[in-house]
Amino acid sequence: MKVAGWISLLLTSLITILAFQGLIGFSDQGPDWGLLSDSYFHSILAFSLKQALLSALLSVLLAWPIARALYYLPDLPARRLFLALCLLCFVMPTLVLITGLVSLLGRSGALSPLVATIFGGDWNLYGLNGILLAHIYLNMPFAVRVFYQQFKSIPDSSWKLSMQLKLSRWQQLRIIEWRSLRGTALVLFGFVFVLCFNSFAIVLALGGGPKSTTLEVAIYQALKYDFNIPEALMLAWTQLLIAGGLFLMVSRFGSSHWLSIDTAREEWRPVPTGWRARMMQCSYFMIWVALLLPLLALFSGVTQGDLLRIEWGSLLKPTLITVGLGILSASIGMALAYAMLTPIRQMNLSAQPRKRVLFEWVATHALVAPAMVMSVGLFIFLLPIIDIDRWGIVFVGILNTALVVPFAVQKLKPRLYQFDAQYNALTRSLKLNGRQRWAIEWPFIRSVFLSTYALVLVLSMGDVAIFSIFGTKDWTTLPWLIYGYAGTYRIAEASIASIVLLSLCAFILWLFEKVQARHA
Amino acid sequence: MKKTLFATAVFFLSASVSAADLKVLTYDSFVSEWGPGPKLEEAFEQQCQCDIEFIAVEDGVSILNRLRIEKSTTKADIILGIDDALIEVARGEGLVQPHDIAVNGLKQELNWDDADFIPFDYGYFSFVYDSQKVTTPATSLKALIESDASVIYQDPRTSTVGQGLMLWVKRVYGDQSNTVWEQLSQQTVTVTKGWWEAYSMFLKGDADYVLSYNTSPAYHVVTENKSQYKAAKFSEGHVAQIEVAAITKASKNAPLAKRFLAFLISPEAQTIIATNNWMLPVVDGLTLPPVFSELITPKRIGFTPKEVAENREFWVREWRSAATR
Repeated sequence: MKVAGWISLLLTSLITILAFQGLIGFSDQGPDWGLLSDSYFHSILAFSLKQALLSALLSVLLAWPIARALYYLPDLPARRLFLALCLLCFVMPTLVLITGLVSLLGRSGALSPLVATIFGGDWNLYGLNGILLAHIYLNMPFAVRVFYQQFKSIPDSSWKLSMQLKLSRWQQLRIIEWRSLRGTALVLFGFVFVLCFNSFAIVLALGGGPKSTTLEVAIYQALKYDFNIPEALMLAWTQLLIAGGLFLMVSRFGSSHWLSIDTAREEWRPVPTGWRARMMQCSYFMIWVALLLPLLALFSGVTQGDLLRIEWGSLLKPTLITVGLGILSASIGMALAYAMLTPIRQMNLSAQPRKRVLFEWVATHALVAPAMVMSVGLFIFLLPIIDIDRWGIVFVGILNTALVVPFAVQKLKPRLYQFDAQYNALTRSLKLNGRQRWAIEWPFIRSVFLSTYALVLVLSMGDVAIFSIFGTKDWTTLPWLIYGYAGTYRIAEASIASIVLLSLCAFILWLFEKVQARHA
Repeated sequence: MKKTLFATAVFFLSASVSAADLKVLTYDSFVSEWGPGPKLEEAFEQQCQCDIEFIAVEDGVSILNRLRIEKSTTKADIILGIDDALIEVARGEGLVQPHDIAVNGLKQELNWDDADFIPFDYGYFSFVYDSQKVTTPATSLKALIESDASVIYQDPRTSTVGQGLMLWVKRVYGDQSNTVWEQLSQQTVTVTKGWWEAYSMFLKGDADYVLSYNTSPAYHVVTENKSQYKAAKFSEGHVAQIEVAAITKASKNAPLAKRFLAFLISPEAQTIIATNNWMLPVVDGLTLPPVFSELITPKRIGFTPKEVAENREFWVREWRSAATR
């Protein structure tokens, strides 16, 4: 298992190395250092940082009160459904969200006149507005879930003690809430920052021009027309350095159990009453509406005529391809993630924190590596060697797998560490063999394993960046079809295809939730 | 896991394509069902008793990039759909071979004399407007930029149309281009990635003018019977985009490829291209829908492919710095 782990780590690193090798080897030139003194470079760097910072900050800040409401008011209606919706938002294919936002707030969007009146007629979705809205929509619900889990891990005794000590609301907030949440908040901030810093599809679709360009989009532009590899490399190294450095830092200093499922049973907590409770209820309902609006816009953009006109048969093949590719990527991704965690768990057990953090970073590095460089680089590397027109779809699968591995690692890791902490000594003293050990481990991780599988499956189904490089007409996936429709402004068709994709995602999450509940 | 991979591999192999006699690397919309590709294929296959196959990539720029990466390992015998601004890059990297076709039958205004590339259609970059909304259109580039009319155009880094405007501004304004870009950014609704995004936004009424071609109005007249869309004729002259085809250096069937290029400039192929790709034919004397004679006929200005190849990178840098400000 340990050997398999090292091989998995090597394989995922190899994809990145080959991709960079593809670019570097092709141009025979290093990065374009001259870019460092170009005002354009400064402005995209500043914009990338600014939008990622704002996106992460707003996502985390907005999530906090919602998570509090969920925690303090256990009687809120449809809480379980809300938490499920939060997960769906996080994994929502970006194109579905873009279609929803454009039909809601675009130039001829349903809500645009209203927003224009509020903001004095100057509303424009394209630009920073649209980018922030989309990033918050994707990440804030996720942050709610994480904070809520963390809230639930506050032990009863803390609250009882705070009552005995007659702590004020402010003191409770500062001493109990903040203490238990700050580690999570930091890691969450870092995580969302990295995701938004590397954002591509959203910025390209909603950015609206050179003023709102991120590094990832600039890499695309550099590679597209000019085929300016030195410039693309310079941008890529900058991105890798900033996002990677930040990610390494938060994994080192932040709490590492942020995605953990809690084991503490909570029975008692203060229950707010009066205006405070009403405020919480209010924010809870408002966020429901906010999260549902783009989805409703998707549906409302479709008339009966559209439903009759569209050729439903043309959706079937892309749907099957999407699901098939997704299952393949998710299954291999999970296997790789589990395998590469084996040596990392060893490091954790033998107390080698530095080595552990380093290899955790290697395992999750695809999260910070520029996806555009990965796919274009690998494309360049492979094109002379193999027939891409025939094999392209295989590489869509391989790169998709590489991109979901970090998520699988992040989610599996805390549960496996937990298992090691509780059972490692026992399994060793009982001298259990691999199979016996697995018999204990599997029931312990099953629930997390299944939910992770659902998450990465849905994530891998929504990608278009890779398909845009490797994909071929014969193997069109559902997201690519939406992209094609939206690119030609056939919004109704795009909406219908989006609804199909979204329903598919929701169904998968629901299905796994069911299976999980049966085993819980 | 190994089994699954193996099964997938077998599956993909069985879905392999049969080898055609001639492979043409072109852009997506050329071979779409409403593009000229399928009709050209049918017409040529009847003539040559052979089998041709189109390989489609996203757009003209992708054709060149693909060829740059593949070099001698390419399967393509012909590249079709890059424009005159990219000619020198393709030639400079040794990707194409001479066509040996007499090009004296081509239209005078093209002034064509190139040993490697054959033009198959062209159009003048133009700002298109809705004459029901804009009653007194701008008569010069200068007037448009100094007006407060809203404009949508394309990113010159990702779109050949956007690049066309860049060359246009550069030709008309020279060293003053910098300030012109800044001025234009005040009235720019959005800069899109490609032509279609911009054009659809314009059709939905998001801007007064959109950057497109002088031939765009013909499309509306012929397929939609709408005559309100017009291209504005500018007194400074317009930059043309000439789409070209060439034989790749790696072609294994150069004689057939030459026949195909010669076919491209035949009246039959030219009629198909003009009415399906919505560009101007490169030869005279065709019978086209009457609207083609009503299109604006601007004075042609611009740069030689060589000048473009030498300055492009610098001009793009200038644009992006000015437009970001």
